[in-house]
Amino acid sequence: MTAPAVARRRRSRPRTTPLMGLAHVVVWLYAAALVLPLYFLLVSSLKNNTEIFSAGFALPPEWRFDNYLKAWSFTSLGDALLNSAYVTIGAEILIVIVSIPAAYGIARSDGWLGKLVERSLALGFLIPGFAALVPTVFLAIGLGLYRTREFLVLYYVAGAIPLSVILLAQYMRAIPKELEEAATVEGANRFQILVRIYGPLVMPALATVLLLNFINIWNEYIVALVIAGSTIDTRTVQVALPTLVTNQLSQYGVLAAGTIITLVPVYLCYLLLKKRMENALISGALKG
Amino acid sequence: MTSLPTSPAVLPSPGARPGGGARARLHSRRRNAAALYALPAFAWFVIFLVGPLASVFVMSMQNGTTLIAKSEFVGLRNFERVFADPLFWKAMSNTALQLVIVVPIMVVLGFMLGYYLFLKPPFAGALRIIFFTSSLLSASTKAMIFYSLLSPNGLVNQLLSAVGLDALTTSWLANSATALPVIMIVDLWAGIGFLAILFSAQLTSVSGDIIEASRIDGCGHWRSMWHVAFGMVQGFVGVIAMLQFLWTLFLSATNVLLLTKGGPGTSSQTLSFLIYTKAFEQSDIGYSQAVGVVLFVTGILGAILIRSVLRSRT
Repeated sequence: MTAPAVARRRRSRPRTTPLMGLAHVVVWLYAAALVLPLYFLLVSSLKNNTEIFSAGFALPPEWRFDNYLKAWSFTSLGDALLNSAYVTIGAEILIVIVSIPAAYGIARSDGWLGKLVERSLALGFLIPGFAALVPTVFLAIGLGLYRTREFLVLYYVAGAIPLSVILLAQYMRAIPKELEEAATVEGANRFQILVRIYGPLVMPALATVLLLNFINIWNEYIVALVIAGSTIDTRTVQVALPTLVTNQLSQYGVLAAGTIITLVPVYLCYLLLKKRMENALISGALKG
Repeated sequence: MTSLPTSPAVLPSPGARPGGGARARLHSRRRNAAALYALPAFAWFVIFLVGPLASVFVMSMQNGTTLIAKSEFVGLRNFERVFADPLFWKAMSNTALQLVIVVPIMVVLGFMLGYYLFLKPPFAGALRIIFFTSSLLSASTKAMIFYSLLSPNGLVNQLLSAVGLDALTTSWLANSATALPVIMIVDLWAGIGFLAILFSAQLTSVSGDIIEASRIDGCGHWRSMWHVAFGMVQGFVGVIAMLQFLWTLFLSATNVLLLTKGGPGTSSQTLSFLIYTKAFEQSDIGYSQAVGVVLFVTGILGAILIRSVLRSRT
């Protein structure tokens, strides 16, 4: 880990050169290209088709909240949100239970076994789970868990393990060994050490891991589609949302409203935990 | 392994005692014992990820059809079928095109934008929020947004008509000339901003002072960006380029499935979508998994190639 150089860095005001001027323009055009579709989504969710097609950018002439009601009932979005919540929370709990001891083991072992585990996990992080989608379905069938949310939970835990364990282990390595040795001398066993000493100390890293996994699991689409399927009692929000396209052929207002509803949990989380969430996303990608 | 931009605070150690001989003894006893704590997680990882991945190779040599049918060993016959199939070569060339266009554009523009953010321009905070907001969108949300934007009466065609470019309006997702470019744009759209944030975080953490110095020495932004900043984070750029390559290669199936279903015709077929359709829509698991092996091998070779080209200079 490198110490943050941010503090030492003096602020530099970019001098205004023609190149820099061009850069400002191009960057803000790109920013507009990112924001305008979201604005379009928001205003469309309050309009009917005629209004969307005649003036997509205009504010809604009247606010039609019925799009939200339609989206909710057409796709049984309530059930889908519950399924997504069930899968996400279930997976997060199991991730905590298996990742913390694993990270501790890797951080505190310097034998070959710890190294082997860490290396394999680091490699596993590189290959997206999609690569093995078909055998995963067979595994679900073999376990009698095909078309269940429970298999999704088990699968997402496995997908989250490499990154969660590596991030936590790196954090734990920074915890002085003397803490643990002192506790050992005083008669604490390893499990007590893990729960009483490491538990509280890794909270910041754990928060990062939980947020990162929350985003990844909540947003996952293709495995949820193939394993849990698109019947109402098992499908997640990500699977339910696209059914609005075929289901409500070309009612764009309803589609926009449904899209916004599925975004709420993640965006709410971002509003509340802006800094933590940004750090989570950055460290999630930087660990490659 | 690269480092975090933020490091955990150094912890105070109340009650810590200087370990002497006791430490060494504890240490040797624990060399491998502690690692046992990692075994449940490791077993989980092996059962649900490594096992299925290994099975791809087995299934590629069996004549599996549907999810419930029995299958037998057929050697390399699936590969013969795959390599003789024009659809596979269409998917291969589309995937190659997608990789050659998306990965370099995303990494180069992402790096330039990251350098821009690193300079702390006016409203950098607002830009960061915009980029983060877009990276939180799920694949199906992005697809739904583009589905609405690109519909025949959608916003894109409205804008084109408004500025007098009616000739350019088209049904973007149903036109074989635009379907694949749309799939690439969906990836690039939010991806560039996200990579920019990663690069700016990395530049800030490794090389703030040096870039500063090069600026004082009279380097223009262009030179300072490519000759100084890029050199400082070249290894990191390599890691990101490799990850982006793997994501684009493996995950294009989602966008294709949600937006074009490989069509019109075969114009937006990609390798990873071919794996999906052959297995789940056309009941040809042997074929699907043979393509899976091709995809996997391509992924490994490409990742090694990118890493060796963009090595860290240090």
